[in-house]
Amino acid sequence: MSKRNDISTPEGYFGDLQMRLSEIPARPVRVSTVHRLAPYVAIAASFLVAVMLGNAILRTSAPAAPEDDTWAYVSYLADALDPDGAVPLDMAGYYLDDEETEGLSADDIVNYLLADGISVEHLNYLSYEEGF
Amino acid sequence: MNEAERLFNEIVKDYSERVYWHVRRFVNNHEDADDLVQEIFLKIWTALPSFRGEAQLFTWVYRIATNETLNWLRREKVRSALRFTSIDAEMERRIDSDPFFDGDAADRALSKAVTKLPEKQRQVFILRYYDEMPYEQMSEVLDTSVGALKASFHIAQEKVRAALGKDIFVGSD
Repeated sequence: MSKRNDISTPEGYFGDLQMRLSEIPARPVRVSTVHRLAPYVAIAASFLVAVMLGNAILRTSAPAAPEDDTWAYVSYLADALDPDGAVPLDMAGYYLDDEETEGLSADDIVNYLLADGISVEHLNYLSYEEGF
Repeated sequence: MNEAERLFNEIVKDYSERVYWHVRRFVNNHEDADDLVQEIFLKIWTALPSFRGEAQLFTWVYRIATNETLNWLRREKVRSALRFTSIDAEMERRIDSDPFFDGDAADRALSKAVTKLPEKQRQVFILRYYDEMPYEQMSEVLDTSVGALKASFHIAQEKVRAALGKDIFVGSD
């Protein structure tokens, strides 16, 4: 069994191949779209990674919201419900009886606050302190 | 003609035929070998400024050729998968349909057995058996120790021997 004679090439192939190959330096360099876009994709990817890392670091290292923020949040909620500030916060029970918010119960507010991330301990505290 | 072009033409003159035979054993088809050789020399031309002469020119050229050939094989595997065919079946079809395959049934069986070897073993087998490259040179091209190459070639031989059902490697170690 021969090692090389089992395959062949067309007549005069290697002369033709050498000629074609020696023309390579004269060819214009073509840059594919992928290679052209590569730097921009890299920049976008870096930015995305930085944002994700920053987000992850903030999520893991940020301290829990201080107690005082709870009141700021509740105040904000009250302001949103009553932009004119006609009803003070400590009259929330009265406010819930207002015909414009008919059907809105204290449980609704509690559920809303819970869904927004407020802890049960805070709600219990608020209920106890303010009768909220 | 500048220095780079002169060196490139020298590489073409000295290595194009050798690279072609090496590639042809992998792709099992003249047309694909011709395309791949052009890709390899294009790569050599673009990489020429980075050639520092620390490695031997021969080693450098062969390293590019073997890397590009492996890349081609990987692309071919993906193409075969997308066509829901196996790469082995595709390689066998190439051997059977190549108009420039002049061997007998035993040569054909050997070629088919070689295509079934894992990538690295096939690389070692082709360099050693067909290209008759010394282990020391293979070691530089593949960046692998001589001992590991000898072991790899031995395993490849055993697999081919088992596939063919007979010993064709007397004195080829």
